[in-house]
Order: sequence, then C-alpha cells, then structure tokens
Amino acid sequence: MQLKNPRREIKSIDLLPLINVVFLLILFVLIAGRPSTNQPAGLEVARSTIASAHEGAALSVWLKQDDGFYLSDIKPVTLGELADLVVEKGIAAQGLPLELIADRRATAKQLLAFRRAMARAGVGEIRLKTELTGGAVQ
Amino acid sequence: MQLARRQRRAGFMGLTPLIDMIFLLLLFFLLGSDFVTYGQSRLAPPRGTGGETSAAPPVVITLGVDGALSWNGQSVDAAFVRRETAKLTATNAEQMMVLMPAGAANVQQVTDVMDALQGAGAQSITLERDVFDIDLADF
Repeated sequence: MQLKNPRREIKSIDLLPLINVVFLLILFVLIAGRPSTNQPAGLEVARSTIASAHEGAALSVWLKQDDGFYLSDIKPVTLGELADLVVEKGIAAQGLPLELIADRRATAKQLLAFRRAMARAGVGEIRLKTELTGGAVQ
Repeated sequence: MQLARRQRRAGFMGLTPLIDMIFLLLLFFLLGSDFVTYGQSRLAPPRGTGGETSAAPPVVITLGVDGALSWNGQSVDAAFVRRETAKLTATNAEQMMVLMPAGAANVQQVTDVMDALQGAGAQSITLERDVFDIDLADF
C-alpha cells in the first residue's frame, strides 16, 4: 500500500518581527556601548575600584605584557624615542598630560622607568588607564 | 475623450537587502563598541600643584613582589596602610605618599596599592624607584 505523502505548503515567513528585533539590538548596542578606545586587543589594563572619569591625553603609550612600549601595534619604541617625541610634540612645554595604557601583567620596573624618563623629558602628569570594576567607589 | 487610467500594480519589495544592511550595522556596532568602563590613576601628580603644607615629610610605602607592604620601613598590612593614610590625609590633604614597588611586581599590584591610598583620601601619590628619585617639584 502506498501512502500519499501530504506535501506541506510553504508559507512565506513574516520578516517584520525579525527586523524589529534586530533594530532593537542595534539600539541597545548604540546606547549601552561606547566607541572602542585605541588599545590592542590583547592588552588587559589593570582593574581599579576607584571611580574616576577617563579623560583623553595628548599622547597615549601602550605598555604591553612583554614589557615593551608601543605607540602602535607595529614595533616597540624605546623610552629615549618617547622622550624625544614628547619634546617634539611640545607636550612637556605645554604641560599636557600623558596617558599610559599598561597591561596589568607588565612589570612595575617598566612603569617606574617610564615615569622617570617622562619626568626627565618634562612631563608632569602621567595618567594610568584602568578598568573600573563593579565595586568601584568614589 | 476620457482615457482609462491604467492602474499600477504594487510590486513586491524585496526585504533581503534591508535585512543584510541591518545585520551589517549590528555587526559594525557590536565589534566597534566597548562595554567596559575605564578610569585612570595618576602615576605622578601635576607639577607644582602642592601648597605650602606639602612640605610635610613624605610617607614611603614599599611594595614587594609577593604583595608585602612596608610603611616607612616597618612591615605592615593593607588595612594599616588604609587606616594610617586616612589619619594623615584628614589633617593634611596634600600629604605626600611615595610608592616604591619592587621591579618585578606587576602593574595590577601597584594599582591595588594606589587604589587603597586613594580610597583613604590620598591625593598626592607618586611612584618612585628609590627615595633619591623623589622630586619635590612634583608636589
């Protein structure tokens, strides 16, 4: 006996709910997110519990896990080169702050070396970028 | 003469390009956005911001690789540092706090101590390699 296989009729799928949901997702990402800051993907900044507004600086320097200083992802720079750049850009002369985006696993030795080299170049204020954790206090 | 107007038939509008574009927008915003909140700590205060009261002798705090702390040479714990810092900054808001971490300590350990000091009210914190590097112009 051969049974008839009743063919299902394919109805068109209503796409409007899908579009609505995706638009809502876009709205959520737009409101909850901020444009990415300029730091490499592998760099994990130190966590902090002290709430302080993050302000931009005249120059951002990365200190990666390998203890190297970088201005871009390409090649490391020496502290001497950084000091020259600070003088060349007039950062020290104008009293502008400098930002250090340091990996939390980098050593304090490099932090100290950076602090000292920049102080010698005339930079007064150095800001260390941190990631605020949930329990941040004012 | 009256001409019969031909009625236009509304054609079906393809939604696929619209959906493609929306998904691309969603991807762009998802990848280009950051959901982490960032803050900052000062490794050194702005130069010359200290007042006359900044002439008070600085407190030297050392941080070992294992997280051990010392306060002016005396071994202490984090609670002591917080308590004493709060006491000092209550009477002198510009009290100098010099943090001297061991070279092999990591950035997170340094940030934790700076957090403890800032949380206790310290405003003038500076990182130094040793006491001879302290520059009073920083305060």
